[in-house]
Amino acid sequence: MSGVALFAVLAAFGVVVGAAAGLLGVGGGVLMVPFLTLVAGMSQHEAEATSLLVVLPTAIVASIVLRRRQVGDLGVALRIGLIGTVGGVAGSLLALALPSHDLRLVFAVFLALVAVRLVRDSLVTR
Amino acid sequence: MSISGEVRTNAPSSAVPARRHPLLLWLDPQLVAIGVAGGVLSGLLGVGGGIVMVPLLVLWARVPQRDAHAVSLGAIIPISVAGVLTYGVAGKVRPAEALALAAGSLLGARIGANALARIEERPLKLVFGLFLGAIAALMLVRS
Repeated sequence: MSGVALFAVLAAFGVVVGAAAGLLGVGGGVLMVPFLTLVAGMSQHEAEATSLLVVLPTAIVASIVLRRRQVGDLGVALRIGLIGTVGGVAGSLLALALPSHDLRLVFAVFLALVAVRLVRDSLVTR
Repeated sequence: MSISGEVRTNAPSSAVPARRHPLLLWLDPQLVAIGVAGGVLSGLLGVGGGIVMVPLLVLWARVPQRDAHAVSLGAIIPISVAGVLTYGVAGKVRPAEALALAAGSLLGARIGANALARIEERPLKLVFGLFLGAIAALMLVRS
């Protein structure tokens, strides 16, 4: 895919990513990175860098909407995020030293358990 | 912070009562731990911090589901600023593609955030649970 068609597809996919990000409170990188590597033919590094650049304005716009509608607490959020940036640097350095394959496996299992718990919580009548 | 759905009053260090003590909040070890976990795992595994932070905020800090998603989004702002600066130095960004994606995602972000402000606690748990399940499956398949 090339030229105008690719950009139209990217913009349309962007709407889906933004909506998912705003609703689920995630950045959307988890959707964008595979898409950019598979559809737009980017390298893993290009896809991650490009996705990060989209995540930032998306999170800002969604946060403005949520602040206006008084959901959550942006002050608390920014503090957690500032602490998170320090953790992010540590994580990037650790990634160079640790076996990432095993870690991904453990993390995937953690996510699966959380998924089961949330789906169960949403379905069980209280 | 607006309380959506159930109110859990027995949460000693959730973000809701702690809001009245901003200074204590800064030092709240639970929130520090969630920030660090979000940052470390996103740096370590290349997944966004939100996927880590939302479950921890809900299941551990007992923040109501809707507020957890909003807090996670806000926390992503400084985390991604740091990421953009790091990758910007490396010069790997493809600006034209980023612009096309952002054009769509800025519209989508408004739609999604407004939906989050309206959605009930249960369907939100269900949607997010299914989303996490799909990601877990994807990670298991690819690893």
